[in-house]
Amino acid sequence: MRVISTFFLILLCAFSFQAHAQDDGSILDIQSLTSESGIEIWLVEDHSVPVIALRAGFKNSGTAYDPQDKQGLARLASNTMDEGAAHLSAQNFQKELRDNSISLFFNADRDSFGASLKTLSKNKERAFELLELALSKPRFEAEAVERMRNANQSRIRNSLTDPSWMAARLMNDIAFEDHPYAMNSGGTLSGLDNINSDDLKAFHSAHIGKNNLEIAIAGDITAEEAIEIVDETFGGLPDVELKTLEDLNIQNTGHAYLYERDIPQSVIRITFQGIKKDAPDYFAAQVMNFILGSSGFGSRLTEEIREKRGLTYGIYSSLYNLEHVSALIISTSTANENVAEMIELINKELSKIAEKPVSEKELKDAQSYLLGSLPLELTSTDKIADLLLALKLDNLPLNYLDQRAQAIEAMNVEAVQASAKKLLADGGMNIVIVGQPGALNLDINEIDSLPNVE
Amino acid sequence: MHRSFYSLKLLTFGAVSCLAMACLSSKVIAEQNRPAPQEAESESAKDKVFNAQEFMLDNGMQVVVIPNHRAPVVTHMVWYKTGAAMEPAGKSGIAHYLEHLMFKGSDVIGAEALAPGEFSKTIRRLGGNDNAFTSQDYTAYFQSVPVSALEQVMRMEAGRMRGMNPPLEDVKSELSVIFEERRMRTDNDPQARFYEQLRAHSYINHPYGTPIIGWMHEVAGLSWEDAKSYYQKWYAPNNAILVVSGDVSPAEVLSKAIDIYGKIPAQDLDERQYLTSPPAESQARLIMKDKAVRESALYIMFRVPSAHQDKHKALALDVFRELMAGGPSAQLYRSIVSDQKLASSAGLSYDSTSWSDADITIYATPLPGVEIEVLEKALLDELRAVVEDGVEADDVENAITRLQEQAIYARDSLSGPAMIIGRALASGMSLNDVEYWPHDIQNVTATGIQNVVKEYLDPDTPHEQPPVTGILMPADKE
Repeated sequence: MRVISTFFLILLCAFSFQAHAQDDGSILDIQSLTSESGIEIWLVEDHSVPVIALRAGFKNSGTAYDPQDKQGLARLASNTMDEGAAHLSAQNFQKELRDNSISLFFNADRDSFGASLKTLSKNKERAFELLELALSKPRFEAEAVERMRNANQSRIRNSLTDPSWMAARLMNDIAFEDHPYAMNSGGTLSGLDNINSDDLKAFHSAHIGKNNLEIAIAGDITAEEAIEIVDETFGGLPDVELKTLEDLNIQNTGHAYLYERDIPQSVIRITFQGIKKDAPDYFAAQVMNFILGSSGFGSRLTEEIREKRGLTYGIYSSLYNLEHVSALIISTSTANENVAEMIELINKELSKIAEKPVSEKELKDAQSYLLGSLPLELTSTDKIADLLLALKLDNLPLNYLDQRAQAIEAMNVEAVQASAKKLLADGGMNIVIVGQPGALNLDINEIDSLPNVE
Repeated sequence: MHRSFYSLKLLTFGAVSCLAMACLSSKVIAEQNRPAPQEAESESAKDKVFNAQEFMLDNGMQVVVIPNHRAPVVTHMVWYKTGAAMEPAGKSGIAHYLEHLMFKGSDVIGAEALAPGEFSKTIRRLGGNDNAFTSQDYTAYFQSVPVSALEQVMRMEAGRMRGMNPPLEDVKSELSVIFEERRMRTDNDPQARFYEQLRAHSYINHPYGTPIIGWMHEVAGLSWEDAKSYYQKWYAPNNAILVVSGDVSPAEVLSKAIDIYGKIPAQDLDERQYLTSPPAESQARLIMKDKAVRESALYIMFRVPSAHQDKHKALALDVFRELMAGGPSAQLYRSIVSDQKLASSAGLSYDSTSWSDADITIYATPLPGVEIEVLEKALLDELRAVVEDGVEADDVENAITRLQEQAIYARDSLSGPAMIIGRALASGMSLNDVEYWPHDIQNVTATGIQNVVKEYLDPDTPHEQPPVTGILMPADKE
């Protein structure tokens, strides 16, 4: 047995070396290409599975650019751009996708509008043709618009049974008050009613441009093929005029809000001012956030609140970055009668990490995870394409993953504490609670109805 | 270069590992290893989805390896062929509670025992992620880690197969965590509460009618003794499957598995036997009114066979599901949502991977102003059309092609293939059932689909387990 397995081990090692060592020692071999029509593409070639994934992002075109009285415009555009184009009706367009096992859909986040394409390499010509048609000649027929409006309104009504959704909705409204980010990214019931085909056509001509386009591709395609197919698909798009948004700090810090609901468990969200991704101390914040609460098991919040006391099924902290605002958010849920205790315990952990340096062991554990787990994010064509587009939309450099690794490796406990002091200042947060908590030692603002829903 | 080497490795194992699992000891496998001639390889590997290799350890533990050299990482899973369905009466939730306790302190083979919580923390330090899940039929523990950590992870997982020993204070606090989990998943959500009721009424006298997380009043009474006796009864190498997917060779994994898992003694196991439902004498219609609900929803749940019970019927139902609900151009969405404009969404779910019965649920959300009975009739008419007129042969052929192509996408993942294979084996299917699924599904015909729909889904001549209809609606305004 031993002899045989050693034989295979030797072969395996030889093979692994070839597969994983990048020539320049970088973590991920990203090719930066420019097409003939001037479009920049980031590509990771991988021929292990006959699958290609493309992500396109149109900047300054997300839901935050919706008109106040037409909230849901970008979302509805994303739902209807794959509902028929040029000579293909909605039915026929979807049938073409289905018959060729092509996954094509659009999405709208707060900052940008996106297209996602995944195809078997043998169908790539047809896949990119369909994407080109959807981008250049979407039909936005009244029937499809009505159907998708109904689906979105149904989704909103349905979300009103979900306390986590309600807490997030409320948080957006409070933390981003008076900024377009406060709008409901999925639309409001009345806003969706106000949108017609003409609005969607106007959205399309205002936002689907070449000058605000970012492209990422991963999978079974060569650089030459990628350049050619990107030109054919996106080369004909016009340049568009871009609006921009103001930068914003987290609003209403120092206040607490309650939306009372008759449910057994309260949902809690706490929001602090965060830190921009290109700030020099961003990685210190990432390490601090890991130790505080992003790691789940092993994080201070999970240890103290779930593991020692059984007060919740989950408590997490996370860094949340939009183009014009940065936040650090703590989210959890607990039985109504435990809310007061929970908030007290969270406050204790926040003070602790700001007042006393984390241990060298905590720092080392955080470094091991943050550095060691990256390859797990690179295990499918979709994951790689998602990562590439995220880097591009954030204007991060090609060697960002390597810069990140160096910065995390060089981290020290002083920098982590400085980050905690800066971000987790006393009273620097707002608190949102949905549920029926008992008496709280907080000055509570009661919310009667959820804003930006109806 | 890459590909030919890959299949060479596979074939040498393919020649010997295969499916005489019950009688082949791992030593026999090793002696029979011999490189196979290259031409033969691509032929015999051609139709397989994952090219996984399987082995059996002397103690009865099953081992499956899925080589995937895309990144230097590995997913390691241990599946126990026991879940909520094996719980003693009155102890609902014990399988899931035990799954939580498995993280609260356990032995490690060849190293010091882990304190409560240290299992997951160690995995994080190794640069990995870990978790576990409980279903009716199985309980699985998994870690995704850099490949260099595989052996350590195996020592940890093997250690807790028989050496879980949480301190009593952790046992107690973890029960509160489960209460919070149940509140979050179910009690805070009217749809989840209603779905629990639907299953309870559909699966009369059958374990699948009891929620995996357990009924709150029973969970509240669970004790360490309950967890321990379930653990000692079912957690054993001869009731477990090891699945490893990633940057490894089958030989390497097998050798480590023999060293680490192979030393755990087998134990006597009860046969896996579930209670079954009697023929139903009435057809249930459930209505739940809730004041948090803003729009109605309709569910119709049918009992149908699983792949383990009847492979051919299950394959026909897989294709039927694709025809009815495989995306926006499939029958239900096209007819109910796009053409008749009765609903904002409509679909049909079917998961054939279970040990005992499976179910098909048809669901739809009516548009404002549409009577639920009108929607219900329209949905049932879709079934009547299949019962009376069957389905088009061309449509069946296209659906089969699409399903076969989905199998290619399934390979584009590290943990996905381990998940698919582990679930299938733990639910009574064979590795070949998974590997040759695209081939087997080719044999489904329009007539086969019509027959199985007639037998189980005919609204006018219900099966002896008739469907349960559920309507979730807003409470009347006060």
